[in-house]
Amino acid sequence: MTSPASGNPAPGSPTPGKPAPVRVVIVDDHAIFRSGLKADLDPDIVVAGEAGTVEEAIAVIAVQRPDVVLLDVHLPGGRGGGGREVLAGSAPLLGATRFLALSVSDAAEDVVSVIRAGARGYVTKTISGAEISGAVRRVAGGDAVFSPRLAGFVLDAFGTAPADIADDELDKLSARELEVMRLIARGYSYKEVAKELFISIKTVETHVSAVLRKLQLSSRHELTRWAAERRLL
Amino acid sequence: MTTAPARPPLVRSSDRVIAGVCAGLANHLGWPVRMVRIGMVVAALAGGAGVAFYAWLWIMVPTADESARRNARRPASPIAPAVSLPETPDVAKRPDAPDAPGAPDPRGTPATEPTGPGRTKFSGMPFGKEILLGAGLLLAAGILIARLLGVDVPLGTLIPVAAILGGAAIAWMQLDETRRAGLVDKTKADQAGGWARLAAGLALVVAGVLVMVSGSGSWEQTWLALLASVAVLGGVALVLLPWGLKFWRDLETERAGRVRATERAEIAAHLHDSVLQTLALIQRRAGNEHDVIRLARAQERELRGWLYRDADRESGQLSDSIKAAAAEVEDALGHAVEVVSVGDCVMSQRHEALVQASREAMLNAARHGGGAVSVYLEVTDAAAEVFVKDRGPGFDPDSVPPDRLGVRESIIGRMNRHGGTAAIISSPDGTEVRLRLPVTAAASAAANNANGEAKP
Repeated sequence: MTSPASGNPAPGSPTPGKPAPVRVVIVDDHAIFRSGLKADLDPDIVVAGEAGTVEEAIAVIAVQRPDVVLLDVHLPGGRGGGGREVLAGSAPLLGATRFLALSVSDAAEDVVSVIRAGARGYVTKTISGAEISGAVRRVAGGDAVFSPRLAGFVLDAFGTAPADIADDELDKLSARELEVMRLIARGYSYKEVAKELFISIKTVETHVSAVLRKLQLSSRHELTRWAAERRLL
Repeated sequence: MTTAPARPPLVRSSDRVIAGVCAGLANHLGWPVRMVRIGMVVAALAGGAGVAFYAWLWIMVPTADESARRNARRPASPIAPAVSLPETPDVAKRPDAPDAPGAPDPRGTPATEPTGPGRTKFSGMPFGKEILLGAGLLLAAGILIARLLGVDVPLGTLIPVAAILGGAAIAWMQLDETRRAGLVDKTKADQAGGWARLAAGLALVVAGVLVMVSGSGSWEQTWLALLASVAVLGGVALVLLPWGLKFWRDLETERAGRVRATERAEIAAHLHDSVLQTLALIQRRAGNEHDVIRLARAQERELRGWLYRDADRESGQLSDSIKAAAAEVEDALGHAVEVVSVGDCVMSQRHEALVQASREAMLNAARHGGGAVSVYLEVTDAAAEVFVKDRGPGFDPDSVPPDRLGVRESIIGRMNRHGGTAAIISSPDGTEVRLRLPVTAAASAAANNANGEAKP
């Protein structure tokens, strides 16, 4: 859905006039939060279903097959795995249905583990209605959504030194990817990142997706050790 | 015993007549208690088999309390169970990650799983008793066979020795494994030095006895006296040991209970001081949106700090100071200030300047910019950098009147004086203040000091 004219990066806001609605399922155990989020979402985002527990979520997602699932990381039910269990339970759908993780938690292990389980992005629950709508569209379009905090975690985990050669080694970020991550951590939107680095928004999205892939697949020692360290709270 | 899946573990019940063995057994097997008790009495009448079985279970089976304590040895955080709890599903799931859309990569599969070191430690211990018992029984069988074959076994000495060894073993087994480990640890008996000391002590005692024997009286007499005193000491120990153990156990239980109570009281006090107070304030101020947001923000920050604090991390880090400054600004102006930090270092005099400059930038951003303020701190080996970004209408840094101290003096001047740099980039989409403080102070500081003094 996000297909901005790549030669014209400045006014590249996604979905200028395309009214194809995005179907979402909201998974959160707080009914108040669910209804608030529903009211906040833009009108072109249709809420196809809601769930409050792991089992409900897996069932609703299997029936509705939404474009995007807004998934709370901490959920009751199941075996106590929360959002990650929903991701595991919906593994066959991961190609068609994208997951965007939502949480109040800042804890690094929550963020990183849910991304590694297959979520395409992570935002905190204090996010505004417009921002979450944008994030939903972005995820629906197959791109990754990085909050400043998630970008900070990535930089912390992969280190801030670039890979020697710009290869697609999994355990290091390329110099360009580092730059993009740094700007996102500084609070830049994708549009602003593109402007700052003189590249198109599409390229920014490509870099971010590459970082997401590395975060999901890397067996980098620092990444696992770092996550394990933070687990000792 | 078949292994049904959902069977309560075999523990000695607190509902007891003698030692809770029958009740525990009944609970474990799912039989009525009365039947088990009657069965045990009948078995006891049948040549004492029941008594032996009962005694064996008494020794081998832990009480419900002990068992629970043993299982609960891995401490879970009382406040954030959701944080410390789910980790196994994660590990199990990692191989699924390559299924993620558009990302098939053969390299990703060997996920290194951080298995907790604490989990494998206690295996191996539970079989110690069984092996010991088996060895004892084998020995007894061997002796019996030897006697049957006509070999003369000096039973007169073997039986007392076996009795002493058995008694010692029983006494030792009564301590559960942690306490045993604690005892061994405390006396340092597991170290080579400990064993050497023990051996030396024994040798000295034996030598003393030998000297005593050679000096006075006959061998026979001393031997008898020695035996008698050992017997008396042993008897006293045997009588007092259960009391001592019981006392010790009670003490430990009580101490654990007290620790739990203290922890609970601390949590309650904290929640009362912070969350309840804030909720009360929010209710009273429900009409004033600005105040409600500010209160909620401050409370969230405080609770977050309390929940996710890293006990191991030393305080006085640069990121702490930046976060404190952000909190101050947030409180003062009611604008959200999001801090993201990568890397960290210990505060120094120069970092204090960086924090002050950052604080000034945050104040400006919150005052003139709209919406949330983003703060990013990155500490590398070469430098500490802070970026403060807002989404306000922006301004022209060059048009700031020279008498306005805020930007020029508090941010740029301050950074220059301490060997750092400051840049302000403003556009209609927002303003970003970039502060950089190199680590190698001496050279750059000297150079910049000259600059800084020449400027004003």
